Amino acid sequence: MDFWLHVVNMIGLFIMLGVSLNLLLGYGGLVSMAQAAFFGVGAYAAALSARDLGLPFPLTLVVAIVVTTLLAGVVTFPALRVRGEYLILLTLAFQMVIYGLMLSWVDLTAGRTGISGIPRPRLFGKTLVTPAEFLPLIAAGALVTFAIAYRIGESPLGRVLKAMRDDETATLAIGKSVLRYKVLVFCVSGGLAGVAAGLFAHYQAFINPFSFNLDRSIFLVALVVLGGTGNLLGTVAGAILFVGLPEVLRFLQARQDIVDAIRNLVFGLLLVLFMRFRPEGLVPEHARGRRRQGVGQPAPALSGPGILPSAGPAHDGAGPALVAQGLRKSFGGIKAADELSLALPRGKVTALVGPNGAGKTTVFNLLTGFLAAEAGTVALQGEDITRLAPWRTVRLGLARSFQDVRLFERMTVLDNVLVALPQQPGERLGPLFFAPRRTAEAERRNRDQALGSLAFVGLVDRAGEIASSLAFGEQKLVALARLIATGADVLLLDEPSSGVDLQWVRRILDLIRQLAAAGKTVCIVEHNLEVVTAVADHAYFMEAGRIIAEGRPEELMADPRLADIYFGKARR
Amino acid sequence: MLALAAQLATNGLISGSLYALLGVSWGLIFATTKIFHFAHALTLTVAVYAAVLAVGQWGLGLPAGFFLAALVGCLFGVATERVVYRPLRRVNATSLNIFLASLGLLIAGESAVLIVFGPQARDLPGFPISGIALGPVAFTTVEGLWLVGSWALLLLLIAWLWWTRYGRAIRAVASNRELAQCVGIDPEHVSLLVFGIGSALVGLGGMLLALRDTVSPTIGVQPVLTAFIAVFLGGIGSIPGAVLGGLVLGLAENMGGLLLPGHWQGVIAFVVLFSVLVFRPSGLLGVRTR
Repeated sequence: MDFWLHVVNMIGLFIMLGVSLNLLLGYGGLVSMAQAAFFGVGAYAAALSARDLGLPFPLTLVVAIVVTTLLAGVVTFPALRVRGEYLILLTLAFQMVIYGLMLSWVDLTAGRTGISGIPRPRLFGKTLVTPAEFLPLIAAGALVTFAIAYRIGESPLGRVLKAMRDDETATLAIGKSVLRYKVLVFCVSGGLAGVAAGLFAHYQAFINPFSFNLDRSIFLVALVVLGGTGNLLGTVAGAILFVGLPEVLRFLQARQDIVDAIRNLVFGLLLVLFMRFRPEGLVPEHARGRRRQGVGQPAPALSGPGILPSAGPAHDGAGPALVAQGLRKSFGGIKAADELSLALPRGKVTALVGPNGAGKTTVFNLLTGFLAAEAGTVALQGEDITRLAPWRTVRLGLARSFQDVRLFERMTVLDNVLVALPQQPGERLGPLFFAPRRTAEAERRNRDQALGSLAFVGLVDRAGEIASSLAFGEQKLVALARLIATGADVLLLDEPSSGVDLQWVRRILDLIRQLAAAGKTVCIVEHNLEVVTAVADHAYFMEAGRIIAEGRPEELMADPRLADIYFGKARR
Repeated sequence: MLALAAQLATNGLISGSLYALLGVSWGLIFATTKIFHFAHALTLTVAVYAAVLAVGQWGLGLPAGFFLAALVGCLFGVATERVVYRPLRRVNATSLNIFLASLGLLIAGESAVLIVFGPQARDLPGFPISGIALGPVAFTTVEGLWLVGSWALLLLLIAWLWWTRYGRAIRAVASNRELAQCVGIDPEHVSLLVFGIGSALVGLGGMLLALRDTVSPTIGVQPVLTAFIAVFLGGIGSIPGAVLGGLVLGLAENMGGLLLPGHWQGVIAFVVLFSVLVFRPSGLLGVRTR
């Protein structure tokens, strides 16, 4: 009996570890090959503080959590700069360093011998020793860990994490500090692994480095991936199947190493096959019944410009909304922006036209802080924003879209828009856990707001669908709704009509006009000259990083010199 | 002190040369196919096991053993590309998913080797081991072979990459897959080619290791981790970079003992990797990207 209870306890511990990793990997899109290292550091922290410092049980658990959280915070800083393979390797290096130190820093860890005699915890006047006595404690730990992770994952905060996973650049462009969320999710993930670590140390009463090696980290990644990333229930299923089932093997085969080998063989093959045939895992992120959002809800009252959200007070002042002066930027020998100045008049549509490679998109990148200018200034509503990070310029009311749309592909249409709304209390841990009612109310309001944006572009009936399943033209409209949801007053649209059918072009142009009529300041980069003449009040003509003409679009189109530059002219 | 430093530097160069070979064997595949081929470790294990069995049990000569290791490695690598990676590319798997499949293959393969051949360590017999003294420094005949063998293979590979049609095709795909396709190079063929060559090289590298260390089912992981470090230290996509990375790593591991407290010794390699990723992610000779 004790054996089976032990198996249940191990499943509980792996649920905690798996859930902590899923938050990082499945929600945040950050691969960590070092989860076992965090687990190990937490376990050593609990073991040493209990045995050598004589701290009582719940306190040692706190020590484990604090240590792993802080350590995760420290590791985050190098990890902030890297992605993909680099992050895999960085966390792998971290795992190996920690494991190596556990083995060789004998004074602290006793090396291979490990630490024994970890005091048994006393709770409610009872000393916990057997698996049966530990079961309630571990079950409670697993439940709390799961609840915390679930609360985070399925909240506005989790939505930002998923956005970051799907497209970091676009996440910056809707005004979310990717840096902040990365640090946050690493720390939370580390802390949750610390819960498992503290319980594990006391449960085993003995730890050595071999529980925290690279194989364990790999096993955890595989467990989360096979269970299903971005869905915590998948991790629970994965833990039960892949930790629990192999134990049955022990009755058929006595030798421990062969049992482990068979388990790993099956496990490895499953991983290969799943990647080929079912990469979303056992329980997919958008499993049936989870895609109910927005569907069948009554659309809120939609009329007039009132449905357009706005960040902060409206700026009614005179003068242009955005002014750029003397911007300079070069890539190697190419001057992408050369003493470039422009102004966007309030409530008007301005167009930036010019041949391919003139530097139009670079201008957008310079204005919004995605690129740092070598010289020059940008002022928004009279305030200098030249050196601000992209997400800050969005908060101040200047947002941009992308030529290649950049939707958050694995999220629903509604979530794509919802995530862009500013200042959501549910994006912060404090209100999320300590002011649930305020969070819920804000979420209801935001939902109506987002549906309003979707209604504005005419896609409210697609709210529940996965963004990547939409046609390209519809995706452009979702991107527009997302841009509007940021509440920014100055909107920069990079080729809003490129690559879409004529019917969509008309619709998009109509929406741009409505935005301007509602008081938004709009600037478009556009190739289609018909589009420019149809919507723009004013146009700048760019060539080789400079603005060489400005005026009413019709005037510019009529200038034969510009037409030559635009369409190219055989030089004689 | 000076004699000690000279000896440590020699040791560093010797192991560094082998690291360079391992690094290049993996870096060639990674630079060309962009696959984070963790199962390279399995290729090494399989190749070395085949050779150890042939030499130890069937009495094959050691040179034939080396040849067999290269051949088995090559075939195993090519099979991995064809059976595992290509179907994944066909369904547009993300690079993370391909990496995970590679990880799965490694876990499964190591376990299969363990189930079939058992966990016990084996030896590669037949190499005469003795000491060689050169002025103030000394090393064994095995280490001498590491130095000579690694450099011979490295120079051969570099010459081949630079001066032959196939070599140029590989470098073309590595620098720009789409553009290479436009000038008539089939990237699928090139993928097979680099998997074949890289895997043959790691088989040979594994044999060099097996001359000194015992062989067990998990023999492949540590050398391949070393290869990752050499490649990222030198800079992805640069073959000379991987060579330099391997040498620097070998020297750092051996010379680091002069500066660092004892318990850091075993983790120097990963501390080096960690520092490079933090301070110079493009590597020593890598191309800086925006």
